[in-house]
Amino acid sequence: MMVHHEPAVRVEGLTRIYPADGEPVRALAGVDAVFTRGTFTAVMGPSGSGKSTLLQAAAGLDRPTSGSVWIGGTELSRLSETKLTELRRGRIGFVFQAFNLIGALTVEENILLPLRLSGTRPDRAWLSQVIERVGLSDRLRHRPSALSGGQQQRVAIARALASRPEVIFCDEPTGALDTNTAADVLALLRAVVDEHGQTVVMVTHDPVAASYADRVIVLADGRIVHDMPQPGADRIAEHLAALGHRRAVTGEGAVR
Amino acid sequence: MTSLAARMLRHRPGSSVATLLALALGALILTAMGVLVESGLRYHPEPVRYAAADLVVARTDTTFTGKEFDGEIYRSTVALPEGGTVPAALAGRIRDLPGVSVVGTDENIPVVSTAGVPLSGRGWGSAALTPAVLEAGAAPDRDDEVALGGVRLGSRVDLVVGGVLRSYTVSGSVSGDAVFFTDAQAAALAPHRGEVSAIGVIAAPGADLDDLRNRIAGLAGEARVLTRDDSGLAEQSTDRAAAVLLIQVGASFGGYVVLLVIFVVAATVGLSVRHRRRDLALVRAVAATPGQVRRMIVAESALISVIAGVLGVPGGLAAAHWLTAELTGRGFLPAGFPMVPGALAGPAAFLIVLVSAVLAGLLAARRISRIKPAEALGEAAAEPAGGGKARFIGGLIALAAAGSAALAAVAATGQTAMGAALGMLYLFVLAVSLLAPWINRSAARLLATPLRAVFGTSGYLAAANLRANARGTATVLTSLVLAVGFGGSVWFLQNNIERQAVAENHSGLLASRALVAPAGLSDSAVAALRAVPGVRAATPIRHTTVLAALMGDGESVAARAVDPAGLASTVDLSVKSGSLAALRDGTVAISRTQASMFRWDLGEKVEMRLGDGTAIHPLVVAIYQRGLGFGDVILPLATVVGHTATNLDDEILISASASADAGLREVAAAHPGSTLVDTATLTGGLARDLALSAWLNRMLIAVMVGYTVVAAANTMVMAALARRRELALLRLTGVTRRQVRRMVNAEQIGLLGTAVVLGGAIAALTLSSVVRALTGNLVPYVPPLGLVAVLGGTTVLALATTILPIARLLRVPPVEHIGIKE
Repeated sequence: MMVHHEPAVRVEGLTRIYPADGEPVRALAGVDAVFTRGTFTAVMGPSGSGKSTLLQAAAGLDRPTSGSVWIGGTELSRLSETKLTELRRGRIGFVFQAFNLIGALTVEENILLPLRLSGTRPDRAWLSQVIERVGLSDRLRHRPSALSGGQQQRVAIARALASRPEVIFCDEPTGALDTNTAADVLALLRAVVDEHGQTVVMVTHDPVAASYADRVIVLADGRIVHDMPQPGADRIAEHLAALGHRRAVTGEGAVR
Repeated sequence: MTSLAARMLRHRPGSSVATLLALALGALILTAMGVLVESGLRYHPEPVRYAAADLVVARTDTTFTGKEFDGEIYRSTVALPEGGTVPAALAGRIRDLPGVSVVGTDENIPVVSTAGVPLSGRGWGSAALTPAVLEAGAAPDRDDEVALGGVRLGSRVDLVVGGVLRSYTVSGSVSGDAVFFTDAQAAALAPHRGEVSAIGVIAAPGADLDDLRNRIAGLAGEARVLTRDDSGLAEQSTDRAAAVLLIQVGASFGGYVVLLVIFVVAATVGLSVRHRRRDLALVRAVAATPGQVRRMIVAESALISVIAGVLGVPGGLAAAHWLTAELTGRGFLPAGFPMVPGALAGPAAFLIVLVSAVLAGLLAARRISRIKPAEALGEAAAEPAGGGKARFIGGLIALAAAGSAALAAVAATGQTAMGAALGMLYLFVLAVSLLAPWINRSAARLLATPLRAVFGTSGYLAAANLRANARGTATVLTSLVLAVGFGGSVWFLQNNIERQAVAENHSGLLASRALVAPAGLSDSAVAALRAVPGVRAATPIRHTTVLAALMGDGESVAARAVDPAGLASTVDLSVKSGSLAALRDGTVAISRTQASMFRWDLGEKVEMRLGDGTAIHPLVVAIYQRGLGFGDVILPLATVVGHTATNLDDEILISASASADAGLREVAAAHPGSTLVDTATLTGGLARDLALSAWLNRMLIAVMVGYTVVAAANTMVMAALARRRELALLRLTGVTRRQVRRMVNAEQIGLLGTAVVLGGAIAALTLSSVVRALTGNLVPYVPPLGLVAVLGGTTVLALATTILPIARLLRVPPVEHIGIKE
């Protein structure tokens, strides 16, 4: 396994405030984090802790209120929407929880979509390697509707890999899958990191899913409360449970 | 991008069927209208009567000059409604020019056979201008001889010439429907003294035609010198008037339809983008720049419009064929009028549809910039509830513009009134479409209590949906308002105009009898009628058209010329200011509509041109109310004598005691072709004429209303089918199928109620302001059956187009629609 020490993604002082009718909601309250190349990081935390917001800001899908994001050596805040899109399709891959694919296109076309939109000629050798790796060689001509949920997620991973991105962001990639299929997809992500030195950042609330990562970051109330090497599913679950308990106690305290 | 757009379309054809249908129907209507316009524009009369002449001197049209805002002078040329004349003396001067072989003067003498067949009376001198006229016998030599076709040589023939019965001997047989008199007789019978309708010139062999033409032009003054290419223009023909009608009708309705198509297509494309929000967000997230997605939407619209054009244009050509047959059958078009196959109209309609679709695509694509790629991550594709500030302000501006248009409602006649009404209507509907999110939200708040009271839980859900989805239902509301507003105003406007014209005519006619003759009545008839004991007054009336400048353009105005003597006992025009007693040569009376449209005032000297192009400057001595029933301009007979085509009266109104009937009948008998009728019959005839001429308007309005209805149905079916997931979710959370159905009904009733109130208000406002301008009545007439049709039709439309698709969705088990799978 190759280990690189330069960061693939770096966020600094990341703050995101959503305007609301009453009081503005502070989803991120100054987050600093570095995601090193060739690592697999799980971002966890209770609902409303800001983990999805962190992912969206780091991936250039959403613009932070303040703070900065670097993808490799590029700082995102100064990029126009078009430049940002171009950066996303070349250097960032996405796997969402569901609805990852365009129903009108075949599996192969879905995989090639970002390349096609950027007008780059696909690297055939790499592509067939990717398709081979995700195990979709015989389904290339199918429509997404003919695939199972797990297969659809594999297509999404293949699409994310197709442009050899700097980093792949996953938002609950196994949230809609059963345990066996989920294990399958997670093993694939792990293999991508191990075999190709790919960087993966995955938001999840499932300790079992997080146990495939190298490192676990836990968020609460828009801040990082734990940043640890992956300690195993049971320990992760304990950390989360403790966090939930503490929140419940302080929450009650606030009411009184 | 185009191929991706094509893939998206093929995968989900449903979302674009509505757009396709709207565009295809639009292409169909526009092609049909285009064929009318193209036929009118391309019409070029071939010379028949003057086919043998090298040059023809005639006055065919009159030119108005106006100044543009930037000071540039522009001209508008109008065909002379009564046909122009040139001085007869000009013929002699042309004859003296070198290179001239034959000069013939031509006259149009109104002649009717005793069987009632109209013939064209000419002097033999003009026969040289028409090739191969004489078939047998000889030219007329004496004043009581004529040459005409279909009658045995040497026999006697009775003809009504200039409204008087005369007897002639047939000296020769000619082709066509012409009657030739001797030149002297023709000059005596001609409607114009010292003037002829055209002078034809045949050049000597070897003469330089261009040179001759220039020399003649130097003598001709305002008249034009036409070469063989254009000399057909000098021939009086119904074809020419028909060509003008085709251009007017086709262009004005085509214009309204273009607006309608843009409106409807913008709505359906916008809706289909809204429904694919998640797909588009995904494409944005993974790879596409906003520009690429915009191009994709535009490419998609363009693609649909191409398919629509391929479907609609041939349909439009077929429709134009049908329309031509109908128009000919109803007398709008002379039989055999050369209609073009639409070689330009088809491609033009295609292009218009393509451009409208691309515009609609661009408009919808603007929204895409607001779709955040992060939405692809969300489970539900929720959309922002409120509209932007710009939209709100735009809506208020449109509303203000519509309001001021309603206040300033320019008075206008028939066609123009329709234009004013439509303009106002479009502005109002635009305002509603922009303000729809706010309207929907307020309506939802207002309706929450009654809906809950009537429908219970379903009503509660319905009110919540209406409030939350205020923006999504904006399109549905707009299309319903459009349908109600359209159906409720323009359709009834026609009823109001006809009804008012008949009512004015009826109450304005004081005379009890009228002598009418389609071929015209001479002075002798008036004199004879006035001599009948018991006759208090006899008013001869000529129907003519005058031309006046309106903002630099020459406008045709329906006018009547009357003998002012005894006018007060035959006609009551409901004079508002001034007095008809002052009507004499050099004065004019005008309707209120005319006064306000042309900004003419009492005591003002106004400028107009008679039907033959003669300029007059009469003084306005009276302004009257009943313009729809009696025309907008009343001139004294003396002013128009010698300036109408036949120089004969169309009807004579008679105010007489019942005892005079026998005497009146004797006068009628002495004037062949004339009939004595009740004035009620006269009004009935007017009603029939109006109904006939309204047929075209009605048909085209019906097409427009039909189009809005199809568009509304389209939009609602589309909106209903897009609720698949939401309804499945409701059913999974325990709402029964019945409750869902009731909920949808409640929502639809809420929307329908709002639309009917708004559409009704818009229709009422539009209708009453235009009707007020036209008739002075504040309350428009709405036929009860029409009202029922509009309201009932909308209700059926709103319920059927939503409830049927929803019922289809409900037949499928909800799990199938809720799945994570695409």
